[in-house]
Amino acid sequence: MASINVTIDGKQVSVNSGATLLDAARAAGVDIPTLCYDERTEIYGSCGLCVVEVEGNPKLVKACSTVAADGNVVHTDTARVIESRKTMLELLLSNHVGDCRPPCVQACPAHTDCQGYVGLMALGKTREALELIKEKIPLPASIGRVCPHPCEQECRRGLVEEPVAIAYIKRFCGDWALGLQPGADAGGRQDAAPTNGIAADNECRGGLQPPADSGKSVGIVGAGPYGLSLAYFLRRMGHAVTVYEAMPHAGGMLRYGIPEYRLPKAVVDAEAAGIEAMGVTFRYGTKVGAPEAGGGTVTLDELRGAHDAVCLGIGAWVSTGTGADGEDLPGVVGGIDFLREVVQADGIPDFRGKNVAVVGGGNTAMDACRTAVRLGAENVYNIYRRTKAEMPADLIEIEEAEEEGVVFKNLTNPIRYEAGADGRVCRAVLQVMELGEPDASGRRSPVPVEGKTETIDVDTVILAVGQAVDAAGIAADLELTRKGGVAYDSATFRTSLPGVFCGGDCGNDKISIAVEAIADAKHSSGVIDAFLRGEDAPYRAPYIVERTDVTERTFEDRERECRPPMGVLAPDVRKGSFDEVVAGWTEADAAKEGARCLECGCGDFFECRLYRYANEYDVKPERFAGAYSVSPDDAATLNPSDDGHPFIVREEGKCILCGLCVRVCEEVCGVSALGLVGRGFDTAVKPEMEKPLAESGCVACGQCVAACPTGALQERLPLAKSVPLETEKREAVCEFCGAGCRLVIEECAGLFVKANPARTEDGRLGPICVLGKFGYGTGGAESAGGRLVLRSVAGMPPLHGGGGADPLAAVKAKAASLGSVSFEDAFRTIGEAYRAQGV
Amino acid sequence: MRIVVGEGSCGVASGAKKTEAALAALLAERGGAAGDGSYSGITLEKAGCVGNCYLEPVVDVYGDDGGLAARYVRATEERAADILAGTADDLLISDEDAAFLSQQRRIVLRNAGLINPEKIEEYIAAGGYEALRKALTQMTPEEVIEEVKVAGLRGRGGAGFPTWFKWDAARNADAGGGAKYMVCNADEGDPGAFMDRSVLEGDPHAVLEGMAIGGYAIGAHEGVIYVRAEYPLAITRLEIAIAQAEEKGVLGKDIFGTGYDFSIRIKAGAGAFVCGEETALIASLEGERGMPRLKPPFPAQKGFWKQPTNINNVETFANVPFVIREGGAAFAAYGTEKSKGTKVFALAGKIAKGGLVEVPMGLPLRDVIFGIGGGIKAGRAFKAVQMGGPSGGCIPAALADTPVDYESITQTGAIVGSGGMIVMDEDTCMVDMARYFLDFTRKESCGKCNYCRVGTKRMLEILERITLGEGRDGDIELLEELAGKIKDGSLCGLGQTAPNPVLTTIRYFRNEYEDHIYNKHCTAHYCKALVTYAITDACVGCTKCARNCPTGAISGEVKKPHGIDQAKCVKCGKCEENCAFGAVLRD
Repeated sequence: MASINVTIDGKQVSVNSGATLLDAARAAGVDIPTLCYDERTEIYGSCGLCVVEVEGNPKLVKACSTVAADGNVVHTDTARVIESRKTMLELLLSNHVGDCRPPCVQACPAHTDCQGYVGLMALGKTREALELIKEKIPLPASIGRVCPHPCEQECRRGLVEEPVAIAYIKRFCGDWALGLQPGADAGGRQDAAPTNGIAADNECRGGLQPPADSGKSVGIVGAGPYGLSLAYFLRRMGHAVTVYEAMPHAGGMLRYGIPEYRLPKAVVDAEAAGIEAMGVTFRYGTKVGAPEAGGGTVTLDELRGAHDAVCLGIGAWVSTGTGADGEDLPGVVGGIDFLREVVQADGIPDFRGKNVAVVGGGNTAMDACRTAVRLGAENVYNIYRRTKAEMPADLIEIEEAEEEGVVFKNLTNPIRYEAGADGRVCRAVLQVMELGEPDASGRRSPVPVEGKTETIDVDTVILAVGQAVDAAGIAADLELTRKGGVAYDSATFRTSLPGVFCGGDCGNDKISIAVEAIADAKHSSGVIDAFLRGEDAPYRAPYIVERTDVTERTFEDRERECRPPMGVLAPDVRKGSFDEVVAGWTEADAAKEGARCLECGCGDFFECRLYRYANEYDVKPERFAGAYSVSPDDAATLNPSDDGHPFIVREEGKCILCGLCVRVCEEVCGVSALGLVGRGFDTAVKPEMEKPLAESGCVACGQCVAACPTGALQERLPLAKSVPLETEKREAVCEFCGAGCRLVIEECAGLFVKANPARTEDGRLGPICVLGKFGYGTGGAESAGGRLVLRSVAGMPPLHGGGGADPLAAVKAKAASLGSVSFEDAFRTIGEAYRAQGV
Repeated sequence: MRIVVGEGSCGVASGAKKTEAALAALLAERGGAAGDGSYSGITLEKAGCVGNCYLEPVVDVYGDDGGLAARYVRATEERAADILAGTADDLLISDEDAAFLSQQRRIVLRNAGLINPEKIEEYIAAGGYEALRKALTQMTPEEVIEEVKVAGLRGRGGAGFPTWFKWDAARNADAGGGAKYMVCNADEGDPGAFMDRSVLEGDPHAVLEGMAIGGYAIGAHEGVIYVRAEYPLAITRLEIAIAQAEEKGVLGKDIFGTGYDFSIRIKAGAGAFVCGEETALIASLEGERGMPRLKPPFPAQKGFWKQPTNINNVETFANVPFVIREGGAAFAAYGTEKSKGTKVFALAGKIAKGGLVEVPMGLPLRDVIFGIGGGIKAGRAFKAVQMGGPSGGCIPAALADTPVDYESITQTGAIVGSGGMIVMDEDTCMVDMARYFLDFTRKESCGKCNYCRVGTKRMLEILERITLGEGRDGDIELLEELAGKIKDGSLCGLGQTAPNPVLTTIRYFRNEYEDHIYNKHCTAHYCKALVTYAITDACVGCTKCARNCPTGAISGEVKKPHGIDQAKCVKCGKCEENCAFGAVLRD
């Protein structure tokens, strides 16, 4: 065949005449996105994603269908091409109904794969659950204890009865890694789990191995959640990391701002030790700053000289007040200062017989209240200007404080503090408040009740109303925010000083929860890694399609099932002790809890091409927001188009009408179980005669599922908890009959997840049938040594699940409802296979 | 004497069948009925539509010399007796209306309204099938194609592609030992267009003859007419015509003894607009869902059943007998340098004389609308004309001198298309007009190309919000952006042209868009959400408006000016309709 020469993006390539531009691009190694192209079917040309420009042609052409001509000069990356592809994707996404990721993942600032690890936990895969957490959260035992878990706030299980206890599960995994046992189940763990954090991380994916030394070094200022996490991520990337910490121990606010009864120091130490064991150097008692401006022991310039990059994560360690008169009196202290002193002085001061007032409604205020209780205070008052309902603290903290005897003086606000004869504070005068009109944030703002005040006797006042950053001393030339935080670019994490990055509480005036700082660490680690390689890779939050239509009604049919009980120290016991209040779960409890997950996120997230392209092209579909062809308003069930097929789940809201399923079913499989229905915007793919798919001629080969570029057609996974998981793929030869089809087997955590046809030598997807596609997940076979084998074959362990001699019993049972599936041929060939093996 | 009742769909809808029945009954009373429509000395016939749809039912009376003696218009059944009695002079067509026809040059419509479409003899008497005889007996297929080339005939379905070129390609295509097909596209789907229907109803043999000539030219022996099922009368008359033609031997085996075989069958389409696109039409013919596919391969290479196939529109075929009989040069004598011959237009909308007109290409738009069409109804001002249906565009009054030929019309942003002309007056809101046409195309999109399927829907939503007074800054630009990308990214003509009405209205009436978006005001006082009604000082207090207001929004004392409670007003316009003093102001 004659060959022709084509230039694509400057690359010369020679192809056979008759080849399309898409063929030529592939030969040249140039990636052209497509959503509707499949080598096995006739060219369709509907998606319009493969458009390119050909010099001399004023129009954009579709690469999939344009035959290359000798001398063609093709451009695949011009502004016009990119614009057209981007708009096309935006239009598709404007009509895409689904949750790419579940609400829990979206709610987590670090986008931790909550659904993934909850699911793995439910499947009894603790190690893999832990590994998944550590992709985003290097301190799971600590964060699992203290995180206010925005994930649970959004968890849709809350629409049924209560959210999945995502944080408790995380804590379990973190404890498991550290070898910490919940009291109730000291010997519960059977397998050879590591007994300390170092070992756990060694064995975890991405733990100690590989880090091939990058030859670059990073200095991190501050060993709080940001600094520790950043050290973990950068070390995993192979960089040398030194953490400079002003305090004598690691942990930052996790250690010095959160009381022992909530987060034992030993847990923080163990997690920090795991990071140290990865090869991270810690320099404690080292404060960064000019010596004259606050006694720094090392200057920023020195660090910049010593490292290729420096990251600031000094936190927000300054307590602020409400501005009431007398805040400067002896006996009036800052909340975080108080908590820190208690940690440093090991339980001192002694509050026995004293009256302590804590001002503020957040978790720090609750920590201060409950610490004061434990220090023996006679009376602990919490002063907060709104009602309990408006308190930002976690509900459980408020409840437990109340159980411990804290007196809540809600709707009061300190006007002034008065000194006694000794000059120390002795009284607090409080303005009585009431709730007025809702403000811009929707919260009803408190307004003073004219002339109504209340006075309480106090020995100590703890102001837990806010924090601020003290960054002034770091370096004179470092640009700060108006409020004194470090100023940095939120996408590149770069400060005003070259090579100096920032994240966590200390920057951009966004003092927040620990997991937010960890999210900064995750996001900035990528940016810094790129910087060290001389590249620029600003962080961009991924574009995600989310549903907003889910309500209680959606889950009306779910059986109610509450969390397993959690062991908690009784109020009288814990009042007098700093022992940890929450006991933690056993593995069985955590697994049981994981099973409550409603499986919200899209099962095809990890293979969705629409998602991949959407993010490659930085889409903004909001500009085309409009009606949906499959209305999401009727959320009576999460997926109304699931028509009960035993192996295949249809989800019309995610269909992009590429027609691949219809065409593959007709042209490749010769079945035509699916077809296009309707016209215009309302066009849809439906099973024949618009009946359920199981009542069509569907032979359950799953080729449509394999061809679908989105989650509109998915396998019903053979997992007890069907959550989207990143899988490992390997090729195998199907053993069900003598045809020897090559399969790609996808596994996760040693579990069979799915099988797909392998590509043949010419790049096409090969054949597959119901047995190869769905037979392996039903107990018919198990993977062993890189090959799939039937377990009832001689010499193999006996079949599990189905039992008996028929390895197909399970898949047969599932396929019983399908009229069109015939096992005749398969049985015969399997019989032959058995005979050949002497069974 | 011969009495002919116009029975196209338009005539039938206006009561022509009743008129015919009344005439038949009266004639039968006189006696002498022969059972075949002839009575003592008088024959009662039916014909297709002559074109004056606005005057239906039309009854023509021919004298014994065969010449037209009288043409009665709006000849309802009640007046049948008067017509026979010769006392219906008030129904005689006016000179002005007669000019509607006399100003035309009719090639395609040469027989429409004149012959009985259900009698092949009348077609043959009018010179029918002579062209086919000439082609088969005196010309080679190449000579036929050459004659069509000389004629400069271009496809009348919309794209205006040279007919000879397509025939030539199909002739030269390798059928691999299999068949070639000649397909007639009678899937006329543009709203307001009825040229093809009228030809099929009034002169079906012209199409059959054109197809047979074309079939001979390309080497096909089978023809298929893809006609929409919504044209039952056309289908019936085609069936009759095919049967009669076969009986006469002008279709079927060994036509005129030349050994050439050509048969035609009818395929009724289910009425999808997109099936007018030739690859979608082929899919539909094959029993598949009507969806366009990529070209190449073109139908001339791989069409119906993957065999070489030529597809032409009804009107194109109807021109062919004239071209062959009179010669290509006679046809090319009409029209402009690049657009030869005549073109049939369907005049509709706010035009005074709606109907079918056939004029030489190149006639200024003004002559068609004002000269033949009689201008705008009710003396309103001419604002614009939508040409080419939903795929076309609007041409503003300022461009009324544009010659009607392919190139000139395309320059304005519209297209000649299949010949639909929807005329708009000053009360037409151009944004709403664009919305209307886009609503049509987006419903008719086959759903294949994402840009067309989702893009047109999003454009429609933007237009809808503009007409509701919820337009946003940037909407015009967003429409323009989407329009460009939909045109770029769609496979077939439907998607590639769907944005045209929007683009042309933005081009010529951008101020109206801006008025809606920024002033929340409909320039034409049409968009309900943006209109307010008020009563002016001209009110005499007759109370009629108040009595007719369905929501009780109008109040006032008798003989004193009334007022409208805007909170209650639902903008139904009843007050304006009922006010005899012009005191209701719509703004």
